[in-house]
Amino acid sequence: MLSKNLIAKFAEIAGKNVWTEEEDLMCYAYDASFGEMCVPEIVVKPETAEQVGRIVRLCCEENIPLVTRGAGTNLSGGTLPIKGGCVLLMSGLNKILEINTEDMYAVVQSGVITADLAMAVSAKGLLYPPDPGSMKMSTIGGNVAENAGGLRALKYGVTGDYVMGTKFFDIEGNAVIAGGKTVKMVTGFNLSGLMISSEGLLGVMTEHTLKLVPQPQASRSMLVIYDDLMKASVTVSEIIGAKITPATLELMDRFTIKTVEEGTRIGLPTDADGLLLIEVDGHPAAVEDEYAKIKEICNKLGGKVHIAETLEERDKLWEARRKALSSLARLKPTLILEDATVPRSRIPEMMQCIKDITVKYDLTVGTFGHAGDGNLHPTILTDKRNKDEMVRVEKAIDEIFASALKLEGTISGEHGIGSAKAKYLESEVGAGTIRFMKKLKDGLDPKNLLNPHKMGL
Amino acid sequence: MDELLKELHELEEMMLQCMKCGTCQSDCPLYRTDGRESSVARGKISLLQSVYEGRIENAGRILKHLDQCLLCTRCLKACPSGVKTDEIFLRGREVLRRIKKLPKWQKLILKTAMEKPELMARMAPLMHMGLKFGSKKIKDGIYRPMIPGLGGRNVVEIKSEAFVKKYGGLNRADNEIMRVVFYPGCAVNLIYTEWGTAVVEVLRHFGVSVYVPETNICCGIPAASMGELEMYRNAVKANYDALAVYKDAAYIITSCPTCRYGLYEMGPKQTGAECPLTVVDILVFLEEILSVRLQTGAEGRSTIHFPCHYQDSKKGLVENFVRSSTNTEYMKLDNQSCCGFAGTFSIKYYERSKGFSRSKIEEMKDKKTDKVYIPCPGCAMQLADAAAREGLDAEVTHPVTELYNFIKEIK
Repeated sequence: MLSKNLIAKFAEIAGKNVWTEEEDLMCYAYDASFGEMCVPEIVVKPETAEQVGRIVRLCCEENIPLVTRGAGTNLSGGTLPIKGGCVLLMSGLNKILEINTEDMYAVVQSGVITADLAMAVSAKGLLYPPDPGSMKMSTIGGNVAENAGGLRALKYGVTGDYVMGTKFFDIEGNAVIAGGKTVKMVTGFNLSGLMISSEGLLGVMTEHTLKLVPQPQASRSMLVIYDDLMKASVTVSEIIGAKITPATLELMDRFTIKTVEEGTRIGLPTDADGLLLIEVDGHPAAVEDEYAKIKEICNKLGGKVHIAETLEERDKLWEARRKALSSLARLKPTLILEDATVPRSRIPEMMQCIKDITVKYDLTVGTFGHAGDGNLHPTILTDKRNKDEMVRVEKAIDEIFASALKLEGTISGEHGIGSAKAKYLESEVGAGTIRFMKKLKDGLDPKNLLNPHKMGL
Repeated sequence: MDELLKELHELEEMMLQCMKCGTCQSDCPLYRTDGRESSVARGKISLLQSVYEGRIENAGRILKHLDQCLLCTRCLKACPSGVKTDEIFLRGREVLRRIKKLPKWQKLILKTAMEKPELMARMAPLMHMGLKFGSKKIKDGIYRPMIPGLGGRNVVEIKSEAFVKKYGGLNRADNEIMRVVFYPGCAVNLIYTEWGTAVVEVLRHFGVSVYVPETNICCGIPAASMGELEMYRNAVKANYDALAVYKDAAYIITSCPTCRYGLYEMGPKQTGAECPLTVVDILVFLEEILSVRLQTGAEGRSTIHFPCHYQDSKKGLVENFVRSSTNTEYMKLDNQSCCGFAGTFSIKYYERSKGFSRSKIEEMKDKKTDKVYIPCPGCAMQLADAAAREGLDAEVTHPVTELYNFIKEIK
């Protein structure tokens, strides 16, 4: 509990946008991850970057842990205030400051909702490619801090590939300018690179300069249905092996298909064992050529190809994919979504591992994911009140990650480490890397006030 | 207190379905204005959970957050996990209302409206006179009352004679093809009586005889939204009993989507009883059951405000109706948010509710619309107030009134 004097100092900076009542605090004790509630001591919502700087400085002076939060849609516990302290809401900094069509970049504040930016950019004939599943809610600041991926990552890359510059405050409240508006820039350390995936541990970002690209002239979307999921997995590696890079290449297993269909009623084939959602885009001639090659590969492996003929049909397909995660949540009270990622050619092996682990621990698991970039989301459906099952769940997660690492993959493709995966980090990167990260963190934030305990730091 | 916690706990199964994914943020009109978790469904669910799990001691304090909900059901429709947010919040309010009682005067008004409908109808001339003398006329049918506390709200005229007084009973059609019941609801009964007239006369024109109940019993949604769920259940049951009398009627027709929601969707869930007949909105009835094709000749630039409780699957039908039965140039609104009326919300939080309607009126001004079609009397009141306040000279009406005007002309 903060003293009245201290609360008054916050109020001096952010006016009425300061909350300390227990019912207000309880609304920021969770995020979209599976984890225990962690209650902050104060919640503050600044509306200008200047206010952000002052709040950060105040937290530093008063030794108050500081957790920066956008929309709180993160899935790894990255915004849980584990040590209490202050939750700094960025939803008040929600302005798109510039969309430059000549030099093709956008400058936005951290609290801008990703879909709002995408729409504003699209209205000017350009494309902001990163499209995380949560883009209708999640914020740009959160996307950068977690280096969010998305459905188009296979061809276009992830959020980090579009960050040209970032403005942030260090823990002392000093303004730091990282990167800028030129395509080439090698001024000093790559500080915007450092902020990508930093999960709020190194500073508080307020503004981002983001690269935009021309909108593709043409696209084709298709739904490919398989009676054997493994054949769908093999298709993925064959397409990549044929040196074709679709914009998206998504996979869903039988269980997920059924669940999404029950939730959305868009007409997915519920008797299929697996399906692929594929979109190619670019120059019309290239699109036709790639489409024909993909169709051939799919047919060869027994996939039935359905083309989305209208924009509406295409939107429906992608909407179904975006709702995969939450639709699974209809079935059981507790849902644990994992993010294991392997090199693309190892997808079939990873799918087999997940199948085996599911059987071994007798669990209900729906798997979907960005197969094209190797990023799978095995999603365990359980009930946290069932103690026996939770023990098996934990063991299964350990094995899923161990399998991903054995296949030269990673424990997190796009959701970050946060608090949920902190214990696995060393197994992937080794003790030396952890020491390096710790030294970096200690140097920049000696009192460990910025999002403490995340990544085990 | 233990008893109350037990009741909240009963909501646990429903609330556990919420995985806090935050999808509700994208569709919640309140969250879109303030960006606060306490505004959005997952925040409110988290608060209820915090009460029964013992993290919040003073349960009464969270009522204000549950109360600040438009019950627009957008989160319900958007939630991929299928969390029944409307049921959770209604029940949650009910339980918490027992800890934090409604002020006596509010309860009295509510009780009168719910339980003494005849008295309400009898008071109409009085309210009509009161409004005429105690307010300033802004334009035809719109007044600004001088009562402090209404925040300068412009109100639509309360009519001197309740609709059911004039139309109560069977309104026979020549060449009768079917009989229906028209359920006017409070707003049409006392304020938009001309909508009621239009509904009955248009139906009669097409050979449908219309029963109008002699007494209008409120659908109960205002009570439900204030946490008085028992009062709501009683209103629903009283309506079911009253409507069950019309044994030779095929449907119940409404011109208020919230009444339809209250009687036909939420009503059975909350009472366990069945509505005696299918409840259909007037436009849906005209289009889907009577297949009416009439070109009315109404002109100008029109737009439609879609009420939150209008069935999503039928919104295209309203657009078709306006396109095919008027000569107006239809301009679709980009802003499809709630108007801000939301039952008792605009009364309790008028300043906040003004923000929603203001942004819609701004867009209507940009699009130079001079007719706003609204198939809901509550939304019509809210937007009529906003139009008068923000200086938009547009007619706010229900599409069925265009048909009636046309029929009157050709007769």
